[in-house]
Amino acid sequence: MSRHRILALLLALTSSLNAAGAARAEESRTLLLATTTSVQDTGLLESLLPTFTEATGIEVQVVAVGTGAALRMGAEGNADALLTHAPDSEKALLQSGAVDRRVEIMQNYFVLAGAASDPVGVRAAGSAIEGIKKIQAAKAPFVSRADDSGTHKREVELFREAGLDPDERWPAYTRTGAGMGLSLQVAGQKQAYILSDIGSFLAFKKETGLEAMTGQDPSLRNVYSVLRVSPAKHPRVHAAEADEFIAYLERPDTQMRIGQFGLQRFGQRLFDPLGGSGE
Amino acid sequence: MHELHSSDLLEITLRTLSVCLTALLIALAIGVPIGIALGRRQFPGRRALLGVINSGMGAPPIVVGLIVAQMFFRNGLLGRLELWYSVEAMVTAQVLIALPLIVALVIAAVSALDVDWELQVRTLGISARWRTWLLLREIRLGLLAAVIAALGGILSEVGAVMQTGGNLEGETRVLTTAILMYTNMGLFESAYALAAILVGLMLTLAGLLTWVQYGARS
Amino acid sequence: MTAALRVENLQVIRQSRAGRFTLSVRDLALRPGEVLAVLGPNGSGKSTLLRVLAGLESPAAGRVERQATGPVTMVFQRPIAFAGTVDHNVRIALRSIGLAPSEIRRRVDDSLGHFGIAALAERRADRLSGGELRRLVLARAFALEPAVLLLDEPFDDLDHEAQELLSRDLRQAVAQTRVAVAVVTHDLRRAVGVCDRIAVLCNGALQQVDSRRTVLERPCSPTVARLVGMTNLVAATLGAHDTAIVDPEHQLPTAGAGPPGAEVWIGIRPEHLKVDVGRGEGESIGKAVVDSIASDSVLTTLSLRWAGTLLRTHLVAGRGLAREIAVGDAVSLSVRREDVHVLPRGQDAARADR
Repeated sequence: MSRHRILALLLALTSSLNAAGAARAEESRTLLLATTTSVQDTGLLESLLPTFTEATGIEVQVVAVGTGAALRMGAEGNADALLTHAPDSEKALLQSGAVDRRVEIMQNYFVLAGAASDPVGVRAAGSAIEGIKKIQAAKAPFVSRADDSGTHKREVELFREAGLDPDERWPAYTRTGAGMGLSLQVAGQKQAYILSDIGSFLAFKKETGLEAMTGQDPSLRNVYSVLRVSPAKHPRVHAAEADEFIAYLERPDTQMRIGQFGLQRFGQRLFDPLGGSGE
Repeated sequence: MHELHSSDLLEITLRTLSVCLTALLIALAIGVPIGIALGRRQFPGRRALLGVINSGMGAPPIVVGLIVAQMFFRNGLLGRLELWYSVEAMVTAQVLIALPLIVALVIAAVSALDVDWELQVRTLGISARWRTWLLLREIRLGLLAAVIAALGGILSEVGAVMQTGGNLEGETRVLTTAILMYTNMGLFESAYALAAILVGLMLTLAGLLTWVQYGARS
Repeated sequence: MTAALRVENLQVIRQSRAGRFTLSVRDLALRPGEVLAVLGPNGSGKSTLLRVLAGLESPAAGRVERQATGPVTMVFQRPIAFAGTVDHNVRIALRSIGLAPSEIRRRVDDSLGHFGIAALAERRADRLSGGELRRLVLARAFALEPAVLLLDEPFDDLDHEAQELLSRDLRQAVAQTRVAVAVVTHDLRRAVGVCDRIAVLCNGALQQVDSRRTVLERPCSPTVARLVGMTNLVAATLGAHDTAIVDPEHQLPTAGAGPPGAEVWIGIRPEHLKVDVGRGEGESIGKAVVDSIASDSVLTTLSLRWAGTLLRTHLVAGRGLAREIAVGDAVSLSVRREDVHVLPRGQDAARADR
């Protein structure tokens, strides 16, 4: 084929792709969902979203950032819906009117993990709070994300509940300001204690060699909620699409799937469905 | 706790300078002699070796970071050194990223010399030590280009530095990883403040080097 | 006079994709205060010889013997100057051999002065013209006060006037410093302008080494004759009474060249072949017809048909005869007996250095 014909073919191809893309953009509805990296890393959304799109025709664009950034996106109207796990901050957002619906979708438990040898005896302590006390008392190696993520916020709460100053630092206390994966790896190398979400902990377990020191401790309960950004405050958000998304998550069959998720990859279920309670 | 304090800023900036300049100096100390040696001689397989170096320039820094980080992990090749998540690991990754670039640019500068340059210098009775100094003087414009290019790459590296250092507060946090962190946290004001310093650093250093380069012309 | 550098039984062998090239020099000497031009076509081995003399290459056989105290310095065909000023270029070579500052100062001034570039001392080397650059590299070499200086095409790319001026300055510097110089060139006129002796190199073998005059006027073979500009070569047979017979109608006068019947080449330099002159300028050899005229504004070269062959001669362009002559004209030719050079025909003899 002559060079000119190949060029003409390429041009035709690109323009037809552009046309299709443009057509799709005009026809389809979209939902910009801001969530946290730990949620995205579990792979839950990848398994749920295709059926949602098929059922409703809504394309979901998932942006995974830090909890702080996700909440800020909601506050500034740069997302249509949020899927996060920081109840206090979420409620504050609700108060401010930036979001006008908050629905609790699922839960699991944070994990206080550490070296298999558990030098400080956190397992024996019986609860996460007692474990934290022991860690602080012994000034044991501890890794914190220190990035205002949902996990970090819970960590701060635990310190407070233990009557300790969350800003206290000791030589073996490391603050990464980074994601869960990297922080787990740092903890693995330093053989330190760390608070992690269950999904990330399981994903990195082999690599880090860390083990869970806690179980279903009430103070470690981790609730995931979906929030709708308020169309009253930010008129240009796709509020109807957000509603459909929330409705989809609340459906019994979706809830059941959420409850089964994780068996294949992690060997255990990652989430307890909550049936969608909230406002 | 999360807002940027001026003391943090100073510490992060100084560490950035320390890590980057150390990496630059080491990369130059290794890369310049190699570049000179390769640029001067003809030997079998030279073209193949140049191909490898050029590919090295194209090697994604994040891949270098991954490999170096794994090397320094407990179970890695260099685990014994207990340098996981350290500035030493960061400097190592930076050196490996900058090295192919420096070697390639020095080879280019040396190859641009007249084929008989070395012979002419020898027949003028100039001793080996002086010859090396003369050579460096001849290629100084190419050398400066290599320094500026390498410094630019080193200062702006994020991924590899994150992987090898972990952005640990008080230990391995530098400007680029701190900017990433504050962006992820949604604290854009702090991110911008750090960004301004980083850009300022780059402009100052690049300006300084360009001024030296300009002076070297006359 | 003892030689500053002597070569004996030299053999250099080069293997390349094109094949094997051998350079053989039985005996060659460079003498202090003397310029030897090494003349030869491209590919004859001149640059190889120079590199061996400089000690940059080792010969496969033979010796290069250095008898003078003082360095052997070489200047390459493409002038290589260092980044920096003219002064720096000369100075750096001297600093590296550890001379006292006052001595360095003296040598720099002297060598820049020899080559007339003292005024350019602060000029950057990359801002010099071609001629100035060639002067710089020579000055730099002379500053080392070498015993032997080897120059590869030092006048390359220079226009005629610049070349003449540089030749003159070079000869003066050589006379003052008593350095032994070898100049490699493929251009006869450049060689002649600067040298005392000529060594003719062809196909890797030294054909003849003699004083300038001898090589030009008494080349040892037709090959050398062509290389040194004796382009009029005519086959003849020696006759009785000091003549050489080209054909029944054409003869040339010789000066006791050999026995009658010997087959010879006759060589006459173009400038020795005279056209249309009166008596006292040589002996007549008959008429010739002008075949073509070529002028380069300095010389007019006439091609003349004589005895079935083409002879060439030079006239000063635009003057006298050169202005009147036209193609097809018949002219009278004459030549002095002593300007007729006789060479045996049937071999190409190489002669050793005297």
